Amino acid sequence: MVSNFGLFLTRRAINAVITIILLLALVFALLHILVPSPQAMARIITGNPRASPGALAAIIKANDLDAPVYVQFFRYVSQIFHGDLGTDTIYHVPEIQIMKEYLPITLELVVIGQIIGVLIGLYTGAIAAANRNRAPDYGMKALYLTTWSAPVFLVGFVMQLVVAYWLNLLPATGVVNPTLPPPAAVTGAPLSDALIAGNWVYFWSALQHLILPAFAIAVVGFGLVTRIGRASMIDALDRDYVKLAYMKGLSKGKVVWGTAFRNAMIPIITLVALLFAFSVGGAVIIEDVFAYHGMGYFTVQAIYNDDYPAILAFTVITGIAVILANFVADILYAMADPRVRLT
Amino acid sequence: MGLSSIFDHMIRRPIRATGQSAVKTGATTTKKREVKEGASFYLEYIRKDKLALTGAIIIGAFMVFALLEGIMQELASVLKQPSLGWRFLPTNPLALTFNLQFEPPSLARFPANILGTNYEGQSILSRILYATPHDATASVIVVGSAILIGMFLGTASGYFGGWIDEIMMRLTDAFLALPALVLAIAVAVLIGGGFTALLYALMIIWWPTYARFFRAQALTLRNKGYVEAAKLNGSSSLKILVRHIIPNSVDPIIAYATLDMGTVILTYAGLAFLGIGVSSGYPEWGAESAAGLQFFPLQWWYSIMPGVVIAVIVIAFTLIGDRLQDLIGGRTTY
Repeated sequence: MVSNFGLFLTRRAINAVITIILLLALVFALLHILVPSPQAMARIITGNPRASPGALAAIIKANDLDAPVYVQFFRYVSQIFHGDLGTDTIYHVPEIQIMKEYLPITLELVVIGQIIGVLIGLYTGAIAAANRNRAPDYGMKALYLTTWSAPVFLVGFVMQLVVAYWLNLLPATGVVNPTLPPPAAVTGAPLSDALIAGNWVYFWSALQHLILPAFAIAVVGFGLVTRIGRASMIDALDRDYVKLAYMKGLSKGKVVWGTAFRNAMIPIITLVALLFAFSVGGAVIIEDVFAYHGMGYFTVQAIYNDDYPAILAFTVITGIAVILANFVADILYAMADPRVRLT
Repeated sequence: MGLSSIFDHMIRRPIRATGQSAVKTGATTTKKREVKEGASFYLEYIRKDKLALTGAIIIGAFMVFALLEGIMQELASVLKQPSLGWRFLPTNPLALTFNLQFEPPSLARFPANILGTNYEGQSILSRILYATPHDATASVIVVGSAILIGMFLGTASGYFGGWIDEIMMRLTDAFLALPALVLAIAVAVLIGGGFTALLYALMIIWWPTYARFFRAQALTLRNKGYVEAAKLNGSSSLKILVRHIIPNSVDPIIAYATLDMGTVILTYAGLAFLGIGVSSGYPEWGAESAAGLQFFPLQWWYSIMPGVVIAVIVIAFTLIGDRLQDLIGGRTTY
């Protein structure tokens, strides 16, 4: 069994690497189809639309932009695998340095938002399934169809307006109270750093700032979990072992939450990876609305500044993060449901 | 596993008739033969559900108005009479009237003020209505092109299989690894500004899901008896694809496509919110909301009202799509 799992793991890992290379090929192909000439590409790398022909020629030479496409592609892939994502045209530092600073903040936000969203989704999905075609089912459906259809920024605005400005419960914008001295950077993410350093004042402030954007991400994303969770729960509730549990005289709550729920959760694991991609996309707008200075906020600034290398670096990093999330989800799935290892 | 399994899971369901309904219709076939396809069947099916009917009315009104407004704007630019562009609107959406600045939503000056006015004193309702052609065009063109491209690539890869299929599927994997919004940002920024550039960007990134759908359909259909029969009959692959596979795979796509038109409007609004594809002098829905950000929360309606309008339109699409999905999934039967 162990070797079987090892084989499965290796195959998934190879698959993930191939998908990452194809992702790079995709970004590279789009880049070269949309920006065919070396001069235009050099302009993108400098970030200076009025660069002199001499300066452009130097950049073309330095980056081998007039080399055959396959040479450029191998160069591009090897650069990315060496952690070279280009140089930012505004801050004049390597993109990877900027990503190191901002990525943990966004990841923390997205992961926490995702956990909240999945919990809401599982709970509402199970309630809807247990009360199939009755009022709670329709109520849940109305709820998730509405949140699902609302634009991300509207969710952010409404939460800010109600919670931060009318009720005055939480701060509306920012990552943390800027007057507080930050703890030593270990992970780079404010909440976990404060936790590691034991700096509770900072932790409390960061947590307060995190709640609204994290809930905004959760609210926008939980509908998919509710929908698939409901279907999978209904499927589980029709199984013989659930009927057996009822026959044994267990209460409805025990059957729904104890027996059916655990089995219904398995398909959700794969869904979480899909949702992760969606949440990272949504985080760009959420961070803009809440002025939460993570990678999304940085990307919005890059859009305003025509900072193409930053946008491309963000695209590649997001893609790789999503592929890795998929990989982890596959492994978790195999752990939860040993049957899939055979395929 | 992974994304592909989710999509396959979403698709591989019995088409239209479930066992139950088959039994029911089987009993009544002698009396009246139910027509279970065609536009009239779908319309009749939607009409039987109040929510879906509401959605259909909203979307119908939206599309008709967008068409009229679009024609008027074209006429205005062709005849060089800008006022034609706002003939159907309560007020001029582009004129600066600072004396009416920041009026909250009210019934005064009905209907111009129901969503309030913005910093320039323009009626937010007028501006939103003025921008309808862009959103309607985006939803129809992006989903339409995605269906066409996906149909061509997906059906071919599913039907022929082999290495073409393998490459296609890994390519769609790579596309689907990127959130639509992020990929659209990267492509739109590279193509350059403007509405058309944004349309192209969305068209480039939108087809992979549909390729998956059509591939899954082709995989199940290629082993059907009538396809075998056509093969034995000596039909060419092209003829089999065009005559048998494609017509039979379109139906399950309709529900998803309806939902997806809402998603296109959401993505489009998100991009416009970030200032991508926005041209000056044209009030995009997302851009309107972003413009209100600096006056938030005091003049809250400036950024919230455009969002509410987007939500209403997308919910309407969702209601129709959800209803159609019930029909295709066979969960509701008549």
